[in-house]
Amino acid sequence: MHINIFVVIIILTVFYMATVKRITSLINGFLVQSLFISLYVFSEGVLTKNMELYSVAFILFLLKVIVIPLTLRQLVKNIKADENAGLLISPVISLIFAAILAGFSYEFADKIMPLQGKHLIGAFSISLFITLVGMFLMIFRKKAISQIIGLLVMENGLFLLAAEAAGGLPFFIEITIFFDILVSVMILGVFVYRINSLFTHIDTNKLTRLKG
Amino acid sequence: MEIFLILGITAFLAIISFFIKNYKTLSLVNVLGHLAVLSIVAKLTADIYGNGASISMFNFFYADPLSIFFMLIIGIINTASIIYSVSYISNDLKENVISSAKANLYYVLFNALALATFLVVVVDNLGMLWIAIELTTLISALLVGFYNKKNSIEAAWKYIIICSVGITIALFGTILFYYAATLTGATSINWTNFIAIATKLDPQILKVAFLFIFVGYGTKAGIVPLHTWLPDAHSQAPTPISMLLSGVLLKTAIYAIIRFAIITNKSVGIQYSSNLFLLFGLLSLGIAAGFILVQKDIKRLLAYSSIEHIGIILIGLGFSGIGIYGALLHTVNHAITKSFMFLGAGNIVKKYKTGNMNIIRGVINLLPFTGTLFILGAFALGGTPPFSIFLSEFTILMAGFQNKSYLTCGLFLFFIAIIFGAIIHHFSKIIFGKEPADSKFRGDEPRLLTVKPEINPEHPNRGEDFFSAGSVSLMFLFIFLIAFGIIVPGFASKILLLTAEVIKQ
Repeated sequence: MHINIFVVIIILTVFYMATVKRITSLINGFLVQSLFISLYVFSEGVLTKNMELYSVAFILFLLKVIVIPLTLRQLVKNIKADENAGLLISPVISLIFAAILAGFSYEFADKIMPLQGKHLIGAFSISLFITLVGMFLMIFRKKAISQIIGLLVMENGLFLLAAEAAGGLPFFIEITIFFDILVSVMILGVFVYRINSLFTHIDTNKLTRLKG
Repeated sequence: MEIFLILGITAFLAIISFFIKNYKTLSLVNVLGHLAVLSIVAKLTADIYGNGASISMFNFFYADPLSIFFMLIIGIINTASIIYSVSYISNDLKENVISSAKANLYYVLFNALALATFLVVVVDNLGMLWIAIELTTLISALLVGFYNKKNSIEAAWKYIIICSVGITIALFGTILFYYAATLTGATSINWTNFIAIATKLDPQILKVAFLFIFVGYGTKAGIVPLHTWLPDAHSQAPTPISMLLSGVLLKTAIYAIIRFAIITNKSVGIQYSSNLFLLFGLLSLGIAAGFILVQKDIKRLLAYSSIEHIGIILIGLGFSGIGIYGALLHTVNHAITKSFMFLGAGNIVKKYKTGNMNIIRGVINLLPFTGTLFILGAFALGGTPPFSIFLSEFTILMAGFQNKSYLTCGLFLFFIAIIFGAIIHHFSKIIFGKEPADSKFRGDEPRLLTVKPEINPEHPNRGEDFFSAGSVSLMFLFIFLIAFGIIVPGFASKILLLTAEVIKQ
């Protein structure tokens, strides 16, 4: 991975998303992150003269910069959710967590994975870092919408990994995965509507009817 | 060719179920369709095991004995489940729990799920495998939340969120596998390609990648400690769907793990995956034993029992050798026995309107047919001879003793002894206890055939009909349950051996 400005911005958005308190900011962070990931994939395509990466970048842009953020905004508006992203731990501790995850990802890529070349270590650790922070958001944010965004962040990490380490998955698969993500966001959205109308809130840590 | 027919028929059923307004026609078309699919699967099985060859088409579809083995399980459980759905949904329609449009939706989703599960086992492409498994999660989550009640929506949300995280981790692993392949110059993500170059793949990368795969698909398979969604989803789903979740969907995740394990074993050696399987198998078994002991809800108990049996399958795979044969046999046996038990439990829950085992009493009086089969099924589930689960558990133990892993075998025996006691304790109470005298339990089961049940004047609460779709489905599964019990029939044994060969290669 040639460390360029795109990658730096992507990492900054990850830290930003780990610390914000409002759902709108979370969606915006996701939008900027996806924008720069698609730009990054595009620049990779230019550098390696790989036509498929152009189309991947374009679909990534269409889906994750335009369609999904719009859908999520509409969702927030329709269910009249309050702006709180539902932090279970404070922004400062979240930041420390994110930093630890970043360190862990780098160590993991450096020591455990037999990667060939410094640039791959960078690529792998950044992808792993994004995926882990996505998972972190899913665990430590209680609002259902925040969890959806966490899942999308995890997938962003995967795309970066696929584009960088493996030169992109086979094109057909990549497209089908995009389609799959769209479907899953739609279905998750349906469930958020239902949770909201049945429970009159979307705090998933209050979903405790089933136990034992 | 047969593969297209199977996928085509299920896709066709999914589409046509939108449009048929008459419920009788709808259910008849679906039952016939799935019987047709089952017979095609049977023919395919005969073909593939007859000449031992594998089918490969367009670089996209691939079916070897391992695929067909799982296909057979899917076909059988789907058929049982669709027959049961007929009566289950018609009952809901009669009680106005759901609208007729929703009944159509049920069949559409059911067939879409069938399509996705069949797709899992016939695709060659590992990326496509991932997509198919993700699709099964999405569709079945809609079915878990089908009734739109608080409990079922909560269960569906947990299910879809936890499994989505799991499946994302699995994709991470898949990409790493692909990365390992690209290092050798390969560009294909097909399983057949991986197996051809498996010995050249970097073992260190595969170790990490397989860990991701195991955690990822293991979430979907309900391996402890990633099982937390399972009891909720399995207990809240409509009963025919519980059957599918336990009998089929857990198995497709196991199938994916096996596929990746074959590649990993070739490069890393068998010890690595074996140790993982044994460790998490025992963990699943132990945790499930504790929860089964204290369980109050009948469907949750069966769900925890699924975790137990997934543990047993993993232990069998971990022992390798004859253990793989045992694990495969156990996969069939568990799919059939658990579907059978869910079916019985579904009849009971419908009758008593609750799943609480402190309230359900005297099933044998109110539902003599279901009650009798249910207590037999309980013994089968616990692993008593002459039922099939005994045989597979015994085979797995034998493999363990051959490997001289006495500690593992000891723990294994200890846990299944606890579980056996707990299951018999719980189920004998609900079957033989004093029935509630309340008249609200009166009523009969919906019928498939037009024979009216006679109401016994002495026991007005007794209402069961041997011709109900539920009973037909119960008998259908019971035949399989007994068939494998005493000795595995020759043709089945051949199927298992050939499948085990694929895994051991």
